[in-house]
Amino acid sequence: MNGKEVAGSGERDWALLQPHHRHTQRQSSDESSASRHQATPDHCDLQCKVILLGDSGVGKTCLLTRFRDGKFLSGNYITTVGIDFRNKMILVDDSQVKLQIWDTAGQERFRSVTHAYYRDAHALLLLYDVTKKQSFDNIRAWLGEIREYAQDDVVIMLLGNKCDCGSDRVVRKEDGQRLASEYKVPFMETSAKTGLNVELAFHAVARELKARAKSQQDGHSDEGSFNVHDYLRQHQAQKSDNCFATNCLS
Amino acid sequence: MASSASGSSRRVSAEEVLVVEAGIEPGASSDPILLTTDSFEEVEQELNSVGIDDPQPGSSSQLQQTPNSPVKRVSTFETLEQASSVNSDETDELAQQLAQEHLDCDPLKSKEWLAQNKHIFVLSQAGKPIYSRFSSEDKLVTVMGVMQALVSFVQAGNDMIRSIHAGDTNFVFIVKGPLILVAVSKTKESVSQLVLQLTYVYNQILSILTQSQLTRVYEQRRNFDLRRLLTGSERLIDHLLNFMEREPAFLLGAVKCLPLQPAMRDSITQTIVQTCGKIKNLVFAILLANNQLITLVRMKKFFIHPADLHLIQNLVDSSESFKAAESWTPICLPRFDSNGFMHAHVSYLAEDCQACLLLLTVDRDVFFTLSEAKQKIVEKLRRTNCLEAINESMNKTSITTAEIGLPEMRHVLYKCKSTAQFWSPGFQAPYNNEKEIQRLIGCYQCLHHRLHVPNRPLKLLFQQTDKETMLAWVTSGFELYTTFEPLVTKTDAINSIGKLLKWIKKEEERLFILSSPTF
Repeated sequence: MNGKEVAGSGERDWALLQPHHRHTQRQSSDESSASRHQATPDHCDLQCKVILLGDSGVGKTCLLTRFRDGKFLSGNYITTVGIDFRNKMILVDDSQVKLQIWDTAGQERFRSVTHAYYRDAHALLLLYDVTKKQSFDNIRAWLGEIREYAQDDVVIMLLGNKCDCGSDRVVRKEDGQRLASEYKVPFMETSAKTGLNVELAFHAVARELKARAKSQQDGHSDEGSFNVHDYLRQHQAQKSDNCFATNCLS
Repeated sequence: MASSASGSSRRVSAEEVLVVEAGIEPGASSDPILLTTDSFEEVEQELNSVGIDDPQPGSSSQLQQTPNSPVKRVSTFETLEQASSVNSDETDELAQQLAQEHLDCDPLKSKEWLAQNKHIFVLSQAGKPIYSRFSSEDKLVTVMGVMQALVSFVQAGNDMIRSIHAGDTNFVFIVKGPLILVAVSKTKESVSQLVLQLTYVYNQILSILTQSQLTRVYEQRRNFDLRRLLTGSERLIDHLLNFMEREPAFLLGAVKCLPLQPAMRDSITQTIVQTCGKIKNLVFAILLANNQLITLVRMKKFFIHPADLHLIQNLVDSSESFKAAESWTPICLPRFDSNGFMHAHVSYLAEDCQACLLLLTVDRDVFFTLSEAKQKIVEKLRRTNCLEAINESMNKTSITTAEIGLPEMRHVLYKCKSTAQFWSPGFQAPYNNEKEIQRLIGCYQCLHHRLHVPNRPLKLLFQQTDKETMLAWVTSGFELYTTFEPLVTKTDAINSIGKLLKWIKKEEERLFILSSPTF
């Protein structure tokens, strides 16, 4: 019994997971989005790939479960193995947007597996845990990886999760804001437990992507049509006083 | 303990076993679905080659006082024993003194920790802690240092430490690649059974990392902290160790099948074959429910080893997250190819059918192809009422020996050697609580050990104790471990085994998978 002929060597596998064909990838995904009306049985106007990233245990799966099922997974700590895949349809203005959400495992050993999926992503939600300094400190490394493996125009959003934690907090909101503005990415604090800003994060991403798709279709790259920062500022202010003024860009 | 030992049992075999129909071998198949090399026997052979269970160890691999052993070794053992006794006295005092303080800070001062039945430790050859079963491993740097010292001390003499026996505690060591694995056990499990468990732990680590990655990280840095690569995977090892204590599958090196009408099982298998037949590089499709095998389809020429299937079962059983979403994960099957990753599409069939389908491929970007295939499989299975059949079997409590019509028989393990599959009935009184079940599994472990001792293996063993009577029997085709009422007579026991074998034969198509479908 010898499986060697079939199973690729571990070495080769890891090495092959480098980004390549960036342009062809994007093109093909654009083509498929054009023909998507006929392709999918449940009608949608736009399909976006969103990846959740961040250290192990920051609450990626919980955030997704809150968004998708409106539930909070309390009690047992559920570890994601590899990558989990879920769909969610949302309504943005009058169009159906299908979010294809990849929930990744935060552990280092899955890093090279998840890298392979960065390049297909339209948006990345990068999470840290406001009660764990290490997860915040690692954000720079995550952003470095994103720069290396993802498309240049990918939508990135930084989220400080578990903001319901009260006195367990070790990362101040201002620290999150400062880091976000340094990298010019929008930022919010979220809570999968209370649901704070969870919907908003996904909706903001969907709107941004829809605006981009529209401007691409119309043939002019109009930067000012939708601003995710403004959107977040408006909606957060309305939604909650706790997370007031989280806009990180002036 | 045993009122009638192996000596008399041989006599039994000669006279009375003939009552049992000759040539009957339920569940046998010439086209086995799994690889059938017995992993336990392999371990035994490996051990035997260095004389581990030899009553008169010619080799000095055991640190026991024997006339041949070099004096130096003996003294090591004695000091060790002294050290350990001093240690436990000290700890008792300390434990009391520190009762108010944070006990869990130092596991060696925690009574609870010291009282654990079976500790498992994993460390690197450089002595760096990697895993400890009952406490955070970084608190055990010094103890692991001692373990590393013991291993390297014996290695320095071109020898290999296998086990130390002190009172009721066995210390068992294995060195695999760059890792040292140690079991400290107060259970009755034999050295070879503990070696088997340590080997499973090692394979579990390989399944996470692959052999080549493991070797590479240590080649690059001898003092690498492997915990970095294993974070989040400790639970797999924790779960595996608990799994091995309660599942006879590991001991038997076999897999249990979910009972299904043969026509239903065929229909499920055919659905998978037809849907996935055209997908290139799909190596295995495995459908599991309640840790039992529903079906397994393989690529021609490739087989899966039960030990690999156990690791897959462990992964599925310990990962809640598979229930919520489709997953895509790399997995290495060490017995199949220890150096390569396969990629597994893992998902439960449906909300209303909790059977878990795994599609294993060598392509790392066919998630969507497999996801689509899975949808089609579920649709077809639903149309053909197969989901219903699976649910029905999953929800049914397992038949007991009393229900089969064998009142004096309490429980049994039947392993068919040619297919590496086993069957066992549901537990019934007095084995209806966790403690009693654990004790029964312990008894099976003892029987298994006595039948498989390499230097004096037995064919038949009849053992009467005040709590139960047990009869274990190994033929070329099967292994059978039966538990009876304590006062059963040999004749009744043997008659009842005859009836049981006939029943299993009658039901074999339902209880076992007798063919080995391929894509």
